Formats: sequence, C-alpha cells, structure tokens
Amino acid sequence: MAASISGYTFSSVCYHSANSNSDHEGFLLGEVRQEETISISDTQISSAELLQVVEVHNHEPCAQLFSFYNYAGLVNEENLNKILKERRKNVIGWYRFRRNTQQQMSFREQIIHKQLTQLLGVPDLVFLLFSFISTANNSTHALEYVLFRPSRRYNQRVTLSIPNLGNTSQQEYKVSSVPNTSLNYAKVIKEHGAEFFDKDGVMKDIRTIFQVYSALQDKVQAVCGEVEQSERVKEKVQQEVNKLKQQIALRKQKNAEEERRILEAQNPEPLPTPEENTEPPETSLLSLVAFNTPSTPERPGPSANPPAYADLLSLQDNSLLPSSSSPTSAALLPRPQAVGSPGHPSPNPMGLGLGLSVGSSPAPSPSTPYLGNGDGSSSDSLDRQAAGQEDEDEDEDEDSSEYENLVSEVAQLPPVTINVLAQGRPASLSPDGDASARGSQT
Amino acid sequence: MAVSAVHLESDAFLVCMNHALSTEKEEVMGLCIGEVDTNRIVHIHSVIILRRSDKRKDRVEISPEQLSSAATEAERLAEMTGRPMRVVGWYHSHPHITVWPSHVDVRTQAMYQMMDQGFVGLIFSCFIEDKNTKTGRVLYTCFQSVQAQKGSEYERIEIPIHVVPHEAIEMYERIEIPIHVVPHEAIGKVCLESAVELPRILCQEEQDTYRKIHSLTHLDPITKIHNGSVFTKNLCSQMSAVSGPLLQWLEDRLEQNKQSIIELQLEKERLTQELATM
Repeated sequence: MAASISGYTFSSVCYHSANSNSDHEGFLLGEVRQEETISISDTQISSAELLQVVEVHNHEPCAQLFSFYNYAGLVNEENLNKILKERRKNVIGWYRFRRNTQQQMSFREQIIHKQLTQLLGVPDLVFLLFSFISTANNSTHALEYVLFRPSRRYNQRVTLSIPNLGNTSQQEYKVSSVPNTSLNYAKVIKEHGAEFFDKDGVMKDIRTIFQVYSALQDKVQAVCGEVEQSERVKEKVQQEVNKLKQQIALRKQKNAEEERRILEAQNPEPLPTPEENTEPPETSLLSLVAFNTPSTPERPGPSANPPAYADLLSLQDNSLLPSSSSPTSAALLPRPQAVGSPGHPSPNPMGLGLGLSVGSSPAPSPSTPYLGNGDGSSSDSLDRQAAGQEDEDEDEDEDSSEYENLVSEVAQLPPVTINVLAQGRPASLSPDGDASARGSQT
Repeated sequence: MAVSAVHLESDAFLVCMNHALSTEKEEVMGLCIGEVDTNRIVHIHSVIILRRSDKRKDRVEISPEQLSSAATEAERLAEMTGRPMRVVGWYHSHPHITVWPSHVDVRTQAMYQMMDQGFVGLIFSCFIEDKNTKTGRVLYTCFQSVQAQKGSEYERIEIPIHVVPHEAIEMYERIEIPIHVVPHEAIGKVCLESAVELPRILCQEEQDTYRKIHSLTHLDPITKIHNGSVFTKNLCSQMSAVSGPLLQWLEDRLEQNKQSIIELQLEKERLTQELATM
C-alpha cells in the first residue's frame, strides 16, 4: 500500500495544529485507487501486482476536540454528520496532532477508529498521527508523522509520500547537437521538423504551454484574492461574536451584582449565610464565563501575560552561552510514555529543562515560568488553570494523570539520569552527532 | 545575545512549509520579514520566496540584488500594514538532510550578522523518513552564528523559536490585547501573496534558462525540438506539482471559510437575541 498527500494539505494541517493549544484532529478526504503494476521477470512472462494507493486530497479540521465523540470514546453519528455533511463519502481516514507523545495509537483512538470504519463504511480507514517534539531550549522542533491502517494485522504502517517538483534542475536541456555530417539527415529533419516551429522560429508548443500556465496562474491569483477577502470577513464576524459574548458576560455580572445588592438590602444584618450565598454565584459566573467562551483555544487574558523572555532568559542564560554546546541545552526531553496532551499545565518537560540548567530539579508545578510547548501557546493553559477552569473539554483526562505521574517520577531522578534518558532517545534531535557527520560531508 | 527568541506567525510558517515541501531534489530559500521588539524577540510576519541562481547543493547565498529588492518589498509591507517591517532573517530547506546548518550555512549566517547582528537563520528539514518505523519527519530550527573559541571558525548558537498562532497583522501584540479570547485562524494577505508567488518564480526560472538555450543558434532542429519539449515538460511538472495543488488548497480554504462565516453569522444572531432579552 502506498499513500500520498500534497505538500499544501500537509502544511495546512501543520498550520491548524500550530494554531491550537491542545491536540488537534480532523478528517482526511480523498480516494483510494487500485493500481496495477506489471512486472516482467525471468520466471514469468508478466505478473500484475495490485497496489492500493491512498491519495489524500484535503483535510477537514475539527474545530475542537470531542466534537464527534465523548470521553468514553463513543462516536456520535449525528455530530459526525454535522461536521462532515456531504463530504462524508470522501472520507478515507482521519488524523490527530499531539505534542510530546508516542507514535502509537492511544486506546481511545483505537476504539474511535473502529467505530468510524463501521459508521463510514470504509474498511481500510487510515489514521495519520502527527506528534510534535521540541528540544529543551525550543530552538529545534520536530514534527513526526506516521500513517496507520489499523484494520490490518501486519504492515500497519504505511509510508506517506509528499509528491513534489522533484528535480527542477535544467540539466536536461541540450547545449549542443550531436555532430552529424549527413546532408540527408539535415535535410529531412529541417523539412519535416518545420512543423514544430512558427514563423518566428519559436516552437509552437512553447507558446501553447505557456498560455496554459498563464491561464492557471491567473486563476490561482483570482482565487487567492477571494480567499483573502473571506479571511477578512471571517475575522470581522469573529470579532463581532467575541464582542457580543463579552457584553453578555458583563451583563450577567451586572445582574448578579444587582441581585446580591437586593438580597443584602432585604437582610440588613450581615449574617454568615448571605456571604456563603454570594460565593456560589461568583464562582458559577466564572464557570459560566468559562463555558460560554468557545472551546477553541483561548488567548491569555489581560491579567496573565506570559512572562517576558527576559525572565526566561535569566534562567536559561547559563545553558545558552556560545561556547557551551552543553548536552543540557540541546538535550531532548525525556519521552513521556503516556499518550495525549492535557490542556492544563502538566509538569511539562520544559520545566525539567529549566531545572537542568539551573542545577536544581524544581518539583513540577503549574508555577513553572514558561510552559514551552514549542509553539508559544501554552500560556493559555496556565490561565485556564488560574481561573479555575479545570473542566475544559479539551483533554484526555484519563491519560493526563498517567502523564503527570510519569513526569514527577522523572523529576526526582538526579540530573545525570535525566541526561542519560534524554540521550537514550534515538538521537534524531541531537546536534552533536549529526553535526559532526555533517561536518565530514563538507 | 542579540536575539532572545523568534516568534514565527503561523501563516508565515505555512508559507515556509509550502515552499520547503515543493521540491525534494534541491534546497529552496527565502527571506523573513518582520520586526524586533524591545525584548529582543524577532517577530516574523511574512516571508519572501527567493529564486536560486546557483542551484548547486548547499550553496544558499543571497545576492545583493535580491537583498535589495527584498528590502523594497519589506518597505511595501510596512506601508500596507502600518508597522515597521524589515528583513530580519533568512530560511532555507534541507531536503533529505539533517536540520543542522552546515559549515557553509554557519559561515553565511555569520556574514549576514556582520551587517545586522539581529539577523536570524531558519532551516526546514523535510522528506526525512525512518524506513524501519515508516515515520516521516519535518524539522525546523533557528540559529545564529558566533565566533568559535578555537581559531577563526564559527560556531552555531541555538535560538529558541516558537510558531505563534496567527492573527491579523493589525493585532500583532497579541499578548497585550486583553479582550481577545479566541485566536484568529485567519491567513494574512501578505502570506497569501507570498504563497502564490512560487509558481510564478518557478516559471520565471524556466523561461530564463530556456531563453539562454534558445539563443544558441548552432543547434539542429531535432535538438531544438528536444529543448522545447524539455521546457514543456518542466512547465507541466510545475503545474501539476505546484500550481494545481495550490489552487486546490485555495479552493478548499475558501470553502472552509464560507462555512465558518455562515456558522459565525448564526452564532452572532443567537447572541444578539440573547443580549436583547437580558
């Protein structure tokens, strides 16, 4: 089996993933073809091999997690149809983007996958897993991707190729002709070859193909203009929606305050009980606010700006000295065993990275200054925690507790062991080994 | 350190990825446009795709003319967005090669730093596959150069780089905007323009090469036909590998946006009603 995805679709998935603070998922649309490859060998005259080719044409991103399934992994067909609409028949797979996790399907993903194969009627439904990992100092990031077809027992992983321009070198042009003194040759090719050229001596094909290209580029330009307009309209309506939500929140707050004032006016003597009564409305207001905001990733609120890089630097300056290509600064994060990215501030390996360079291992806690997910987006989770929004729907809660336990275990190990752990990982992100290999090439 | 970190807007990141994934047989490159703030963080808002005059492997140098026209482009962007924009760095791709900069890359970066110590280098490594686990990989790194301890060789220093969820250029200082609850998932105009430049640049390169070949007069008709066919073939290749998928992606994006707009309008109506009843 072979699979392909266009570079633009791939980049688009990366773009949507970069825009989301939690895991990101969606559906893959395309088609599956059977290709026959005929080979001739010495033992047989000809043998035809059937190759299944999976072509991903585009993707349908889900706006949030748990949009078509619940915590138990039960797929809701109605929601599924709402998301896919008429594109349902084009679904050939689905994808998931996670950070700092293993390249394996999680249990929930497996059961969702089984249900999807049945509901969508695609026995060979594929699952594309993206996992994102960064070095401790966030200078290098890797996006790994594997395509699974879980319906098979063997060969579950399929190579995903990205068709591209390949070789654009112009070495195929010939700068000289093969020397030939035959007059007949010259005569024949001139006479009959003249068909190819127009009166200016330019090959007709050149003009024709250039016209095709021009028309195509004009179309690209035109659609691009339309896309740009739609982006701006979308932004504007989004802003209006946000404003309305704020106004509603404010109004609710005002109403709650008024109610409280009325209550206090009715009970002139301050008793303990009225105070208790006033607390729940406020916390429920907070949770109201929490749930009324869209569950797409949130920006930091006014009160909780992520710490400036200056603060971060003061902790990291030791490890980023020019002369020290010290293993700690480039060390890879220990790979957590658990799967899934909790939305709340787990003791992110970044905390460990900081711990390493400062010389002490801080206990993993939400107060770590900067939760580096490698994409600058983790400040939001810190805010959600601060606002008491622990009920956010964006996590895989079962998995996150495992994650926390693992990391706190690791944090108790002495720094040396952490280094060993870090370097024990297949050294794809270790600069020293590769750099020296590279050095020997140049 | 001259630069403390790099923040790469996600739509500029999108264009870089598009560009890097456009060919696996040679290194592509471009320039990064943006600004540097008082915390020495480099914000990259968009990129300019560059033509490579020397397509030899690992020769990614930018000519002075390209730098100059990039500066002009940055000025145009500055006017359009109302923010001070300039060339703040360069990026190139390492197809099938490790993400770390070669000695040539580090030296080249050092040269750029001589004219601007805040200049940063980005490398995208792609088309990597681990045959055993059938895992594909795309990596990106950010670096500057610093004089090494020994002798006159340069060493690489690592700069943290973060891809930030993108909003429109007007809301650049996302951290300071208190009301913003949802990240805008919108692609900026300049990034869209950069993205559609690629097919144009590829065609331009092909035309230039063909023109040189065409000017050779001593070729016999068969060779001319051959060369003309090579041009046709290459242009077809570009259209099917780049222009076509680009157009498809744009159409899909347009469709997605239209859907989102409808849903947002409905939500807006619902909220307006809710507000009216309060």
